[in-house]
Amino acid sequence: MTVIPVVYVKGQYNHLIARRLQELGVDSQLVPPSTPLSKLEGMGADALVMGGGPQSVRSLDSLPQELKEASALMRQTKLPMLCICVTHQLMATTFGGKTNLARKPEFGPVEVYVNEEDSILQGLKPSFTAWESHNDEVVALPPGFKALASSENCKIQAMRHEVRNVFGVEFHPEVSHTPKGVDIFKNFLAAIG
Amino acid sequence: MAVQGFHPSSFLTNETARLEKAVSTGKAIAAVSGGVDSTVAALVAKKALGDRLSPIFIDTGFLRAGEPEEVKSRLADSAIGLKVRLVRAGGRFLESIKGQSAAEEKRKKFRETFYQVLAEEAKRDGCEYVVQGTIAPDWIETQGGIKTQHNVLQQIGIDPLTSFGFKIIEPLSELYKDQVRLLGRHLNLPSDMSQRQPFPGPGLLVRCIGNVSKTKLNLLKSSTKIIEEKLGPFNYEQYFGAVIENRFVKDPAHKKLQETAAAALGLPAPETPVDVFEERVTGVKGDDRAYGRLAGIKIREDSRETLGWLPEKLRHAQSTIVESTPEITRVAVLVKERRGGPPLSIIVRAVSTRDFMTAAVAPVPWKILKDIAESILKSGDASRVYYDITPKPPGTIEFE
Repeated sequence: MTVIPVVYVKGQYNHLIARRLQELGVDSQLVPPSTPLSKLEGMGADALVMGGGPQSVRSLDSLPQELKEASALMRQTKLPMLCICVTHQLMATTFGGKTNLARKPEFGPVEVYVNEEDSILQGLKPSFTAWESHNDEVVALPPGFKALASSENCKIQAMRHEVRNVFGVEFHPEVSHTPKGVDIFKNFLAAIG
Repeated sequence: MAVQGFHPSSFLTNETARLEKAVSTGKAIAAVSGGVDSTVAALVAKKALGDRLSPIFIDTGFLRAGEPEEVKSRLADSAIGLKVRLVRAGGRFLESIKGQSAAEEKRKKFRETFYQVLAEEAKRDGCEYVVQGTIAPDWIETQGGIKTQHNVLQQIGIDPLTSFGFKIIEPLSELYKDQVRLLGRHLNLPSDMSQRQPFPGPGLLVRCIGNVSKTKLNLLKSSTKIIEEKLGPFNYEQYFGAVIENRFVKDPAHKKLQETAAAALGLPAPETPVDVFEERVTGVKGDDRAYGRLAGIKIREDSRETLGWLPEKLRHAQSTIVESTPEITRVAVLVKERRGGPPLSIIVRAVSTRDFMTAAVAPVPWKILKDIAESILKSGDASRVYYDITPKPPGTIEFE
């Protein structure tokens, strides 16, 4: 059985991520970002999914504790990762990209245009409706990453590392109002499988 | 609909075993409201504890007309078998929220009174445990600071034993509403109860936006009846009304809202005046609580008649207003007004949602909204009826 812990960073939808993965037959539960790598290995984790949260991550110097820990975990782990919303932004900031206040924030339904299907967006061209809730956004990719999707207001709706199975999405694939969100989890499972 | 990953029978086996172990030979009261969460929680606990469980129903005074009696008799039905004791505490709840107009203060006062009443009832019955129907979104939203649910203590670091003298049992705390409904059906709960329309614990208190008064509550009760009757047949997951006072913010910066609305709707600006209500309403932006303002768009009657409902254009107007104006969290559209009526508005809300974590505005036919508005205005107790066109996020399903 595939084991994918969900790193809980205080977002409302974090618990829903675990529910979606459970529905796909994955052994998934919430873990705090302070969980040591050895414990994740002990659980037999095949990948990590990191959730969203209400924080702002424009600078690494002023991160709240749980995101300091999440940022450290991102740097240490070699596991495949899917990072959602605030942790997508945190991944950009952590690996040398840039997060800033969005020119226009997005709340509720947004049309996301797929530039490159790659692995996690397989079958989602040309576009799909996603539910969003963010004031900040990734404004510059970290080195070694490429953008996969965009929306009218936000250029980097999804990104991936060019070599590793490390992905970030600005929107929320875990909520039921992103009808094709489950495809993104399925694609992620296929990519790491 | 089968939900993969959740199996009611194995859930029930594990949960009753856990409860038997936790409570051992002790006794418990169950706080029941007639809603699916608390009813299913009580049924699960009853399976484990049998006669050592006493269900009670607290009449908070913020329930719908006739609700306490109806729920009591429905739960006593042999198909359900919960004989609840009715505790009347309306006056006490009303007194406890007196003078409060901020949503979180109202909710916290409500919670305090709720647990004080439960503590007295538990003590009276010699019970050391209280069973409640808290589900995942309740503690997630409370812990995340979105809003204080009345039935969450432990998850935000309040120890019920030291604060109120009892221990809490929450059989459903990891489940979502749709899973609770499945579990209810597995427990043979009749479908009118397992599919029952959700109603918040603090009830009409949180649908009376801002200060609570008898006038507002009475208008809300009569309007609720009209809205539930007219929208019931559509099977939306949630539908209700809220009452708000017609007091508006006078801010020159809001002048541009009228232009924003007009541009989105493709109308000249003079045809789309926008009012911004003074009383604040709850929303959620960027995963964080946004206690902001409600904007009401009015579309001139003749444009409305020519253009009809305009759901797509209204959605666009809503999102551009909320994106461009940080203090505004929600947008409603005026359905009908009666000039010279009392300065109160009813906001109708209807959404589709699977798990109450996100919600889309329900496409209620315009004719039905007009019917509802006319019935409400006919009573003479309100002067405007609006329809809320905000998804969650940036709105929440309820208003406070």
